[in-house]
Amino acid sequence: MIPFLKYRKIYYLLSTILVFSSLAGLLVWGLNWGIDFRGGTAVNIDCQNQVPTVVQLREKVTNLGFPGANVQIVGGKQVVVQINRSDITPVEKGVLIQGLGELVGAGEESFSFQQISPIIGQQLKNQTLTVVIWSVLLILIYISLAFRKIYRPLPSWQYGLAALIALFHDLLIIVGVFVLLGHFSGFQVNIASVTALLVVFGYSVNDTVVVFDRIRENLLKAQDKNYAEVVDESLNQTLVRSLNTSLTTLFVLLAIFFFGGATLHTFTLALSVGIIAGSYSSIFLASPLLVSWYERRH
Amino acid sequence: MSINRQWLVILFLFFLAYLTVSIVFPGRWSLPIFRHQEFVYGLDLKGGARLIYEADLSKIEADQQKSALEGVRDIIGRRVNSLGVTEPRIFTESSQTQPHLVIELPGVKNFNEALEKIGATPVLEFREETSVTDLTAEEAAELASFNAEAEKRAAEILQQAQAGADFSDLAKEYSEDPGSAEQGGDLDWFQKGAMVEEFEKAAFELSVGEITDHLVKTSYGYHIIKKTDEKEGGEIRASHILIKTKRAEDYLPLWKNTEVDGRYLADAQVSLNTLNEPQVELVFNDEGQKLFAQVTARNVNQPLAIFLDGQSIVDTNGDDQITEADVYAPIVQEKIDGGRAVISGAMDVDQAKTLARRLRSGALPVPIELISQNEVGPTLGRISLLESLKAAIIGFLAIIFFMILFYRWPGFLASLALIFFSLIMLSLFKLIPVTLTLAGIAGAALSVGMAVDANILVFERMKEERAKGESLVAAIGVGFQRAWPSIRDGNATTLLVAAIMFFFGTDFVKGFAFTLSLGVLTSLFSALVVTRTLMLVGAKTKLGRLKVIWSRK
Repeated sequence: MIPFLKYRKIYYLLSTILVFSSLAGLLVWGLNWGIDFRGGTAVNIDCQNQVPTVVQLREKVTNLGFPGANVQIVGGKQVVVQINRSDITPVEKGVLIQGLGELVGAGEESFSFQQISPIIGQQLKNQTLTVVIWSVLLILIYISLAFRKIYRPLPSWQYGLAALIALFHDLLIIVGVFVLLGHFSGFQVNIASVTALLVVFGYSVNDTVVVFDRIRENLLKAQDKNYAEVVDESLNQTLVRSLNTSLTTLFVLLAIFFFGGATLHTFTLALSVGIIAGSYSSIFLASPLLVSWYERRH
Repeated sequence: MSINRQWLVILFLFFLAYLTVSIVFPGRWSLPIFRHQEFVYGLDLKGGARLIYEADLSKIEADQQKSALEGVRDIIGRRVNSLGVTEPRIFTESSQTQPHLVIELPGVKNFNEALEKIGATPVLEFREETSVTDLTAEEAAELASFNAEAEKRAAEILQQAQAGADFSDLAKEYSEDPGSAEQGGDLDWFQKGAMVEEFEKAAFELSVGEITDHLVKTSYGYHIIKKTDEKEGGEIRASHILIKTKRAEDYLPLWKNTEVDGRYLADAQVSLNTLNEPQVELVFNDEGQKLFAQVTARNVNQPLAIFLDGQSIVDTNGDDQITEADVYAPIVQEKIDGGRAVISGAMDVDQAKTLARRLRSGALPVPIELISQNEVGPTLGRISLLESLKAAIIGFLAIIFFMILFYRWPGFLASLALIFFSLIMLSLFKLIPVTLTLAGIAGAALSVGMAVDANILVFERMKEERAKGESLVAAIGVGFQRAWPSIRDGNATTLLVAAIMFFFGTDFVKGFAFTLSLGVLTSLFSALVVTRTLMLVGAKTKLGRLKVIWSRK
């Protein structure tokens, strides 16, 4: 049996550092919003024939009349150019297709253009906020229902609180990763990353629920054991499941990340981080918290 | 589960396997209804364009907004149809403060033209017939000499006919009516009302076998008519020789704009006349009132055609398409002074409503602004499809490899169940049908990862029960039973979040949430029915009795 609870002070410290660095990063650097949210134009080109360097691309795009564009090469053969204007005219589009097409040896049919005006970006931001608030509310209701049957030796709301703390921990860590990547490698928060965030809502709570379910079951069976022992035992029993489930999901995500093309990159990245954080927090944060609270009471 | 029921379930699974394979890979082995089922791909996978417009309804009164929006949609629909795109989609989304109009144009080639056409302000025009006075002096002179020449030729043929030459030979040689010349000019049987007025009058005056003694002039040209037969009840049969003349419309379009256009129209509404028949009432503004009076004054008993975006405002030949062949041209009965006109005649309420709505859209165009455009080239789309499929297959194989390595025999059975899961998912994609997008494929792939969770929960539980000394079959039963609450709760949170995602208007999120939910529900079936049955049956086979294959330890 692995004595998970023995080192819980270290976990708390680690989680606290992670969460506070995320918050600090958010305040100092802020999120790098993608064109979904602030408007602009994204040009995707598939270049099977010749892949230029980022420097070549940047130079070309500047020469074509779009200085300051964000240029990336994703997955080794997809070029993504982001321009801060949404009002690209058909003529300018033609210029881009010709200029960039020459550079990568691809015709119009290998291009995709996405032009989003700031109006819809603002609306999407508002919508995202509404959806996130709703998600939090519904997850709260779900947690209070899921844990109403566990009332020993802690009141059921404390189980719920632990799950919630784990959830916010996971979300803040994802946000922290967004901030970090946004600041250093041009990662942008788009609608796909928000979708990933929402999936993590469900995933994180699910992971915690499985462990807590087990704690409840073990409490019923072993009335004489001490609480910390029961929690430790439950963690050990659910450990393999937690790891395996995260692994199988990660397999899929990694496959999409490496082979699935540029569009899903941010999505899989965000989701992978969230799933790792979710597994971590259900084992190393939510359950140890229960024991700490218990020991403070008694 | 009793033995009999188990075999029944196995039988059912075999049937399901056949059914799903025959849907996913159609061929001669498929039921006929499944042979032509195809996957439906979204724009990001097959190429095409999506445009989102915001309609500004702020200047329109609250009770009119819905119909105004419908009007915009209708107008855009007309324009999209004229682009010749197969299966375009147009829909409105009202989740925002101002409604959005989403237009999807799969495989559109002339994107810039489409953009220009769709975004243009609607143009409503009242047009009158072109007349000879609209021609230039030169054109008029040419027309006159051509027609004089035609008359001369026709007169010569008439002489020959009256001199006793064979009518049908003459028709074959000279008639310029391509429909009847071959038949010796024969027009077959017709009744009163079937031919143009001048022609009919002359033809019905003849007796059988008689030829007109003068040239009959119609808008087509000069006719020489011979009545060949008649029946009781007023039906006659006649032949003719046509020598065509030129008309103003041979030089100019048939219809020309009048001074009145959509700017002068204030409103159009459906009402009922005294006979309870629907009609459309038009109200012109002050300036329009004067102009409309002028136009109607000079067009009494003439048609006044209504065009929207350069096409007939409604379909007039009943083919549900608006083409060059359609012209909607009510006849002006009298000069209309008060700025109020009524269009009446054979139309039902729906037709009247369509007409009124389109008149209003032309009169008070709703401003629309392009707020998002997304164009995906066909090659990029195909590559995205191949890449995402490759990713999904690699992820799938990685899971199967891992499950067999880690859980051995049960892992193998779970992999079989996963194959079942995939077949069912793919069949559902075809049958529902689900529009497959990148996000949708991601959702489905992710649900495979989550689908194994149920199996893993059960297998871990089984191991514990076996460690306690339970028999294999008992451990399987207890494993499923004990793992159920966790499976249920885990899937519930995923479904809950997927449900919330539907609040987003964005297709990316919706597509993802839908396939993810579908996957979660299918995975429940695959784990609880397929894996379980396979395990119970597997435990009883000879191979299954080898303890070593059930677990690493």
